[in-house]
Amino acid sequence: MLPEGQEPEASSDAGVTPEAAAADPTPAEKPDAAAPIAAPAADEAAEKPVAKPAAERPARPAKEVEPKEAPRVAPPPGSINEVLATAAGVTLTAAYMVPEMKGECVAVEVSRDDVPAVMTAARDDSRLDLKYLRCLSGVDWQEEGLEVVYHLWSFTKHHSLQVKTRVTYDDPMVPSIATIYPAADWHERETRDMFGINFAGHWNLVPLLLPEDMTDHFPLRKDNPLQEIEEWQGDNLRDGAGEGDE
Amino acid sequence: MVLERDPALEVVDMPINMGPQHPSTHGVFRMVLMINGEKIVDVVPHIGYMHRGGEKLMEAMDFRQGIGYCDRTEYLAQFSAELGYCLAVERLMDLQVPDRAEYIRVILTEMNRLSSHFMFAGAFGIDAGVFGTSFTYAFPQREFLQEVFEEVTGDRLMYAYFRVGGLAWEVPDNFVQRVHEVLVHSAQGLKDIDDLLTKNEIFMARCQNIGNFSADQAIAYGLSGPMLRASGVPWDLRKDEPYSVYDRFNFEIPVGNYGDVYDRYLIRIEEMRQSISIIEQALEQLPPDGPIVPEKMPRRLRTPPGEVYSKVESPRGEWGVYLVSKGGDKPYRLKMRSPSFCNLSALRDMTVGQYLADAVMILGSMDIVLCDVDR
Repeated sequence: MLPEGQEPEASSDAGVTPEAAAADPTPAEKPDAAAPIAAPAADEAAEKPVAKPAAERPARPAKEVEPKEAPRVAPPPGSINEVLATAAGVTLTAAYMVPEMKGECVAVEVSRDDVPAVMTAARDDSRLDLKYLRCLSGVDWQEEGLEVVYHLWSFTKHHSLQVKTRVTYDDPMVPSIATIYPAADWHERETRDMFGINFAGHWNLVPLLLPEDMTDHFPLRKDNPLQEIEEWQGDNLRDGAGEGDE
Repeated sequence: MVLERDPALEVVDMPINMGPQHPSTHGVFRMVLMINGEKIVDVVPHIGYMHRGGEKLMEAMDFRQGIGYCDRTEYLAQFSAELGYCLAVERLMDLQVPDRAEYIRVILTEMNRLSSHFMFAGAFGIDAGVFGTSFTYAFPQREFLQEVFEEVTGDRLMYAYFRVGGLAWEVPDNFVQRVHEVLVHSAQGLKDIDDLLTKNEIFMARCQNIGNFSADQAIAYGLSGPMLRASGVPWDLRKDEPYSVYDRFNFEIPVGNYGDVYDRYLIRIEEMRQSISIIEQALEQLPPDGPIVPEKMPRRLRTPPGEVYSKVESPRGEWGVYLVSKGGDKPYRLKMRSPSFCNLSALRDMTVGQYLADAVMILGSMDIVLCDVDR
């Protein structure tokens, strides 16, 4: 599935709005011109003012009501983020609640240099006792940089914690925690493969899932588009594609 | 006169390549074993032969399409994979799944656990040198289970039957009766395999005290599922962080004492008994009718922005899905935390110092699915 080359012009980014706007007035809807279903583009709505009085359907609610980011709720006082900050002796950039399967857990953001200290404290401090690294993922936030998310769990205290750290594209380096949590070994190698995040201090940071020589191409970054056919399949196989957005 | 030894006859480390096309690697997995005599001094696992970029592809698919990809990733425990994925989307969308759908999900997932463990028992017997016998005992049982899956979903391997919010369609009318029938077969098949392997002296000698992992090691390496429980950590997500309706059933969590290959085998055999018990309880509690999708189900699935990490206890361990959404109908990022990948990462430390012949047993005891490792 590996795209052959990085073609920046090949419908690369997640620009949903221009595509959706272009695809909306499909031929199927043209006969129903008396009540155009979807006309998100402002100029089209201005062209056909006649449609407005005949509006049998209620006006579409403005699209902008959909929030762009999840609301951040600060953890209640006495949560483990406070314990973590004192145990590790670092300042947390942010702390907020994120949903878990049942209830919520604390997520903290730390600067990348603090990662080893935070992880060591999380593992060794008896009040935290987060000995189990569940998962380590990379997330490409595009202009906001690359993020590494660590999911920790404590078998004894039955609480979980997410630790996040952000790095820039220009300097994608995060200290490795493979010596603190051996479970991170392969996860870090995979994240390097997919996002090009270098885990400094990792004993064996060679490609794991990708070919050995593929060290300059990071498939899961957002600037690395899928093949056109794959994008096309995703859009066209969808139920109700071309019928408007809802 | 001092007798000299010929330096050319000294024992030196020798690399042995195993796989990627080797029957005991359970798929396309390759490891380069450095051996000294018969002892393993280093292992370099090579994975990625089956890497298809599923996580990237799922970013281009909407939430319903992604379900099919879970099947293709974890092709021996498809229902567990689908369930983990659906739970993540449901949690973000705040959907309440109807009871009947939950019970059918549990029944199918546990039957899937049976079929997956049958597969393990058959293949593990071959690893141990039982030739085809264990396989011929286990495979008809798996076939009986798959017949039910086929009747329900219309497919033998890629079920894609769970949906966000519930199920794709109602089960056939004779579903309960068919499951009861199949459970009789499964119980018998389980007894056959138990009789064949568990107390077999050669099998025991072959399995015991190899690949030992202590509880602390198992936790540090992020093992999960039977691998973790064999090391003495009584941890099962169905019991300890119950999802779906697992908190309504009575079942035991088997835990091992030694953390060796034999314990992992015993735990899976016991888990099958527990699964049969769970299915029987679920069939009793199954509401005779009712909706299988929520009443207010949006036609197009759209999640609010946010993130969630969902996890289910698949036959291999913790199948986790880290879903990041920016709103809209597609995941912004989807990480599949596959238990096979995490368990396999401990291979090196589990095999170094063991005999070469035992490496096959240790790998077999992990019960990996290579598609799940590579994604």
